[in-house]
Amino acid sequence: MATVISLPITAPPTPASWIQDQTNAGQTISPASPFANLFANASFELKAIKLLPVGLAYLAHVRRSIHNHSFEEHDK
Amino acid sequence: MALSNGSARSRKSNPTVVGINFGNSYASIAVINKEGLADCIANEDGERQIACAVSFHGEEIYIGNQAKPQLVRNAQNTIINFRNLLGKKFSEIPKDQPIISAPVIQHPELPDVAAYKVAILQPAPTPLPPASVKSSSNTPATSVLPTPRSEPIPAERIITVQEVTSLFLKSLVQSAQDFLGREVDGAVIVVPSWFDDSAGAALKSAAEDAGVEVLQLLDEAGAGALVSITEPVEGLDPDRTSLLVDLGQSSLSLSVLSIRHGLLYAIGSAHHEDINTEQIDTKLVKFFTKEFTRKTKVPLTVCPSTETADKRAEAKLRLALEHTKRTISASPGAASCSVESLKDGVDFTGSINRMRFDMEVRTVYDSVVRAALDLLEGVGLEPLHVDEIIYVGGSASLPGLDETFFAKGFPESTITPFTAGTVIGGGIGDPTTLLARGAALQAQLLAEIANEDEQIHAAFRPESEHATVHATARTIGVILPEADAGDEGLGGQWVLGIPRDTPLPYRRFVQFDCDLGEEDKEERILGMELWEVSEGVKVEKIAPPKREKEEGEEDEDEEEEEEEEEIREKILKKEKQLGALAVKAEKARKENGRWKTRVQVQFLAHSRGIILIAAEVSEDGTGAPASIHIS
Ligand SMILES: Nc1ncnc2c1ncn2[C@@H]1O[C@H](COP(=O)(O)OP(=O)(O)OP(=O)(O)O)[C@@H](O)[C@H]1O
Ligand SMILES: [Mg+2]
Repeated sequence: MATVISLPITAPPTPASWIQDQTNAGQTISPASPFANLFANASFELKAIKLLPVGLAYLAHVRRSIHNHSFEEHDK
Repeated sequence: MALSNGSARSRKSNPTVVGINFGNSYASIAVINKEGLADCIANEDGERQIACAVSFHGEEIYIGNQAKPQLVRNAQNTIINFRNLLGKKFSEIPKDQPIISAPVIQHPELPDVAAYKVAILQPAPTPLPPASVKSSSNTPATSVLPTPRSEPIPAERIITVQEVTSLFLKSLVQSAQDFLGREVDGAVIVVPSWFDDSAGAALKSAAEDAGVEVLQLLDEAGAGALVSITEPVEGLDPDRTSLLVDLGQSSLSLSVLSIRHGLLYAIGSAHHEDINTEQIDTKLVKFFTKEFTRKTKVPLTVCPSTETADKRAEAKLRLALEHTKRTISASPGAASCSVESLKDGVDFTGSINRMRFDMEVRTVYDSVVRAALDLLEGVGLEPLHVDEIIYVGGSASLPGLDETFFAKGFPESTITPFTAGTVIGGGIGDPTTLLARGAALQAQLLAEIANEDEQIHAAFRPESEHATVHATARTIGVILPEADAGDEGLGGQWVLGIPRDTPLPYRRFVQFDCDLGEEDKEERILGMELWEVSEGVKVEKIAPPKREKEEGEEDEDEEEEEEEEEIREKILKKEKQLGALAVKAEKARKENGRWKTRVQVQFLAHSRGIILIAAEVSEDGTGAPASIHIS
């Protein structure tokens, strides 16, 4: 199971004006529809790299990619 | 015996494996101990750093540290520096190197093959024992006395680079077998990052000739980082940027590593043949030579030396330095350097303390740090971004080198094995054994999956498709908007989600407390904005505080002008908003007049997009999750 990192911070109260400022961005998505594309052109920057084939994490990565497993499936 | 169908692979279910670091000057071997940790073992001479040297002397062959003293009187039959020649054709080997050992020659028969020619003594053929003479009954019986063994015959032996390597590896494996009391089935061997395919192939076949199956040729950076991943020093984040510094006999290797929950890749690396321990040794040889001549009035010219007596003296000094340097690393006191009959029958005993030592070799330390700074700059990072330095190689044991890193801009927050106290006494940070231990850990992992699919094994070979993935170029995280945050900065509380240089897919869970204000409202929400940010460094110069003169203090230290202090601080800059999410807080409770709750956020990134899931967590279970998927 993945570890949960407990952060020593306290989130500040969200300003009342915040939601309105984000008309084209933010909305609550009901759990029934887990995914929604909010920013159609919001692709983030990626680069191709080569992992060093070493260690348990790499083995786990290989297992997931061979069996096409998600993290959740792999956790089980 | 009948074999069941389909058992293509016949791997032992519990193979005995070892890790081998095969340097150009020194090698080491590690095994997994009963506690499951990697241990570097000593050979029968009690050595953990085993000199990569093979010396032929009459009928004897010396291998390892016993072969090194042969460089003084039997240099032409002593072979060193063969590791770096593996896989090279004779014509590819530079010929302008000074020769202090058996020269590399063109093999007399094999075209363009590098070899050595050494003088040996071959045992004379043993005369046939009488019993083996089967004669007919009528001939007179041969004498029952054995014929005395005749003198061994001087001969010449041609030995290729690969054959020397095989001979040497065989003795390493023999040491491991003696230690373990079992046959060694396989080994992971550490090789430098610059090792090419032909060098790798030559090493593999040399190992196979020595009777060891090579489970994997492992990159130095991988072996070095694996120890840090398996046994991290306290205080290190599972997601970190590490700088690997390997100062070996012949070169300096540097890598900036991205370590993300155990996944590893080199963001950048550099190799400098012009920065090495040879330079340290030369400076020390000169230092002690001066002392010798001053004390004894015996003239001695070294670095370079031309006369035979001077050459021998230099070779002796270089051998003696091994002890001096190790003493300097191990303790802050003075270290001695003693050579019997250094020149003209005159003995030498000198000493050097750590401060003087560091002064003598300062320029080498400085060029190591300079090279590290250049490498970082080349990949857009600063010392401030380095969470950890991993030291590898003999000379990285020198505390003065670590001190130089801190003196030249590495922040106190950088964790090194010296600051963590894990170098002394062969701790987990010991640079001289780290690579072998990393290799042993990897060997154990490969042994455990010995019976798994071929597909899995293939993933550990070079050029596996599984190794090529995407990584993030920029840091991604959440900003929790805050009223009156001002225009400067991010406009709210930052929560790191996916650091830059993170291989995908990646997942991170974080939890934190939330303050939802004091107002009693029908609906309370926590807003989150997902941002791509760039990391920078803010430099602030502050004038030194004016020191109040203490009473009676004179103006004498006036000229001691204090420098402006430079404060460097990591900063984040918003680059692009990727999305926003509002989490309904339905489980909030009022505490001291303010509404509070706790939220768990999951960042899940793959190359097709990011999923951000946030939900309240409380004693009575988790709340309804809110999520967005950005592609
Ligand atoms: N504890 C120590 N303190 C200082 N110097 C040491 C220590 N241990 C070994 N050395 C020195 O380190 C050098 C050997 O370094 P190392 O074993 O890393 O070389 P190598 O990996 O074989 O060489 P290269 O990587 O350049 O091919 C020798 O000069 C040796 O004297
Ligand atoms: Mg090395």
